[in-house]
Amino acid sequence: MLAAPLSKLFQNLSLSLVCLLVPALPVLADAVDYRNQVISIALTQEPPQLNSMLATDQISGFVLGHIQEGLLRYDADNRLAPAVAEHWELGAEGATFWLRQEARWSDGKPVTAHDFVFAWRNTVDPATGSEYASILYPLKNAEAINRGDQAVESLGVQALDDHTLEVRFEKPTPYFLGLTAFPSFFPVREDFYRSRGARYAADADDLLFNGPFKLSAWVHGASLRLEKNEHYWDRDRIRLNRIEVPYITSETRSLFNLFKDDKIVLAGLDSETLQDALKQRYPIRKFSDGSVFYLEFNHRPGHATANKALRQAIQAIYDPAELVNKVIALPGYRPGRSLFPLWLGGVERRFRQEYPAPVVQPDPEQAQRYLAQAKQELGVEALPPLVLLTDNSPGAAKQAEYLQSLFKTRLGLDLRIDRQTFKQRLAKMTAGDFDIVAAGWGPDFDDPITFGDLFASWNENNRGRYNNPEYDRWVRVAQTSSDPRQRMDAMARLQTIIIEDVVILAQYERGLVYVQHPRLEGLVRRVIGTDPDFSGARVIQP
Amino acid sequence: MTESHYAPRPGDFDPLDAAPQAQTVCRPPLSRVQATWQRFRRNRSALISLGLILALLLFTLAGPWFWPVDPARQDLEQISRPPTLGKVALLVADDRPWHGSTAEPPPALPDATALPAPTGLTILEPATTRSVRLRWEPVAGAAGYAIYRSERPPADRADLGLPLGETWSGNEVGYEDRLQLEDRSYYYSVVTSDGFDESAAFAVVEVAVAQGITLADARSRGLVGPDAAIGDRVRLEAHPLGTDYLGRDLLARLIHGARVSLFIGLAAPLLFVLLGTLYGGLAGYMGGRIDRAMMRVVDFVIALPFLLFMILFKIAFGIGPGESGVLPMLVALVLLSWPSSARLVRGQVLQLRHEPYVQAARLQGAGAPYLIRSHMLPNILGVILVDLTFAIPSAIFIEAFLSFIGMGVVPPTPSWGSLCNEGMNTMLTHPHELFFPACLISTTVLAFNLLGDGLRDALDVRLTEGT
Repeated sequence: MLAAPLSKLFQNLSLSLVCLLVPALPVLADAVDYRNQVISIALTQEPPQLNSMLATDQISGFVLGHIQEGLLRYDADNRLAPAVAEHWELGAEGATFWLRQEARWSDGKPVTAHDFVFAWRNTVDPATGSEYASILYPLKNAEAINRGDQAVESLGVQALDDHTLEVRFEKPTPYFLGLTAFPSFFPVREDFYRSRGARYAADADDLLFNGPFKLSAWVHGASLRLEKNEHYWDRDRIRLNRIEVPYITSETRSLFNLFKDDKIVLAGLDSETLQDALKQRYPIRKFSDGSVFYLEFNHRPGHATANKALRQAIQAIYDPAELVNKVIALPGYRPGRSLFPLWLGGVERRFRQEYPAPVVQPDPEQAQRYLAQAKQELGVEALPPLVLLTDNSPGAAKQAEYLQSLFKTRLGLDLRIDRQTFKQRLAKMTAGDFDIVAAGWGPDFDDPITFGDLFASWNENNRGRYNNPEYDRWVRVAQTSSDPRQRMDAMARLQTIIIEDVVILAQYERGLVYVQHPRLEGLVRRVIGTDPDFSGARVIQP
Repeated sequence: MTESHYAPRPGDFDPLDAAPQAQTVCRPPLSRVQATWQRFRRNRSALISLGLILALLLFTLAGPWFWPVDPARQDLEQISRPPTLGKVALLVADDRPWHGSTAEPPPALPDATALPAPTGLTILEPATTRSVRLRWEPVAGAAGYAIYRSERPPADRADLGLPLGETWSGNEVGYEDRLQLEDRSYYYSVVTSDGFDESAAFAVVEVAVAQGITLADARSRGLVGPDAAIGDRVRLEAHPLGTDYLGRDLLARLIHGARVSLFIGLAAPLLFVLLGTLYGGLAGYMGGRIDRAMMRVVDFVIALPFLLFMILFKIAFGIGPGESGVLPMLVALVLLSWPSSARLVRGQVLQLRHEPYVQAARLQGAGAPYLIRSHMLPNILGVILVDLTFAIPSAIFIEAFLSFIGMGVVPPTPSWGSLCNEGMNTMLTHPHELFFPACLISTTVLAFNLLGDGLRDALDVRLTEGT
């Protein structure tokens, strides 16, 4: 009969297929391995870009922060600590960094000042097209070079010798030390970069490492493996031998199930999985990640939101505490009261303790008066529907629907929700194709100016094209003054303008709720720098 | 020999009555519709389905009169609640900011190794779902406190539940919790911290939280008269099927969602099956070259991608983001879904055309209208109805899918599909949000299928003529 041999053939075929497939499957280890000091984690997406000169996103920043190191880094207490630079001098004109002799690349060659010069020049080079080039603008001539007006050689950074790096500033930059821990300031070795050409950072073999770990395997879209870098200068600090990344998924439910099955050491929670985690009696941890989310108005002429009275009317019905407590309903989130989040440092204490943000209490009657004024100024009987641009995540949709109902019931305004993917939202924001957009900003360095300059008229990230000469003036003061008191006073002016002119409406400071493996110790969560940071983590005895 | 006395009468030679008395027709002849209905009535499941569909139409059309609740109204005091018949709530004062509770700064301890748990943990005001205010005595050496909330008594230090927040100095000894409170008992724990680490000891207090509503809120919702005072009890609106993730009444959302779902689910299939039947019937009836040409057009339309055209129609109709895409959805469904019906009908007609009885009728001089009315239509009606009953549920599903990817209804308009998608997110914690819309979709689809089955059996002449 025909059927039998056929099925046998299939059997053989499938057997041999299985044999072929087995070695290719990653070893799905447990979450922690005490004897070998190995942990497994999951990433929410494949790192989009491991070229430190081009990377812009948080996932890439996480991987880069483990495999590369800049002049300085943040330590376990979230203070700046020496890394490749052993010591330094910071002045108003510039800074000098003395690099340590024992800093090595993963092929054993020393990390030199030339590697920094090469990377920084390359980042501001318009031919590289780095989206983060502007973070190097404190360097002398950086902006002109990035515009294409000057040669890259004129950038204000110089290697005096192999281990001395001299930096010249465009204008005084008191926060420059914090910048050097940012991936765009990581070193890249020229000979290696040139040998890889366009393939640089395309695969694990196409990267050179000077950080605590090295990327030893990278199966695109599937898994990564980080192994301890034996050439790292501070290798005694590193306790973990390996970090496995066998899973890449952004599904919170899947991540939590992996955590429950003891397959990964860390899982973020949403409001659903949080209930589940509470039922399972896992200790819940929370962490404010430092970013601020806000409703940004479109100030371009022709948009109803360019009218201040309308913005004030919206401000007068809006209660961020209700949004955070009832709609988001996750611990760790804080109601947004200002563009400047609570954790930012001021002159001596926290900025917001020294300069409390003016509080606008919800006032429905005042809102009606503002609304009537707006209608009169715009010369309309009824306002046209406003378009709210937002992300397509379930959380963003829920918040948008909350706002839609709020606008309708309190102001009689129709709000149309335009849900887009993250990338598409950014594109539409840049094009100005919105009335109100739910946007957010994560800090790049530890200084209020990382938020404060957002709405300067020249800032590319000022997507609503807010243009206020007074605001610009205070931004310049905050950027250039070297007196901390004067700088923070200027920031406070910015904070007041933001609230009184309703440039944006702060929604919340984002929090993260997560569960962590009980046998993992030394994991550091940070607002600025690599988060989460596993470099000081270890697995404790069962 | 006797003589025959037979004397024939004239009447004797009349023909007998043609109809024998024993076979009287004891009922009037049945029309086709009557016969069909009679056969249909014998099919119990089809009858029940018909009843269900009628009930559903009543639910959709008359629902808003019986349950005049705005499906978009959000009640943030009752988020994701299971079915209730009106909770009693305590009237509380309108929100006023609370600046916490501060005490004298506690003495600093030089080396605090094990900080004790705070004492005197109490609630300051009656605890309601609006807010719970906690206070405790300061602890020497404390640099702050962390506050936890659990729904059951904590078993140990690792089981304190939700980390609500913290205070930043040793003399800040109050905390206000407003984080999505429900009317139930909570166990609040306070842990002393030295600024970096939290101590191992904790203090617990059990708090019975009552449903609360602010006076202003109750007034604006018309729950109380003008003479209501703080401390009174009011009955909140009933939610017979519970509420969703923004406190919207699920029954009202289902009623209004049914309008969109059934509109697309009925209008689109009716239109495209009609179009397909006309087109396919014509092609099959004409036959030959015309048939071949018409069927190539069908092949062409089948090759068109639905989603792409849906998007194109949306743009062509000038529908921007955040505007309802129900009309382009209907147009796209009708313009792109008819070919399958056309093929089906054309095949049937082609086959019927060559049946001997059709040939015979044609030879006897029957015209096209007669042929179509008496031979074609009755024979293909069953096929069309089956096609229709399969098309309705799939149209409902397409609507659900398109609403999910943002091409169909837009918030706050609900449809069954979008309700399901929203309910899916909270499936494990609040199953009622998924259960009710899913139940309605399943029931509707099943009812239409069984009804179609029953109709086909009742209409199929060949299947039932003999019985």
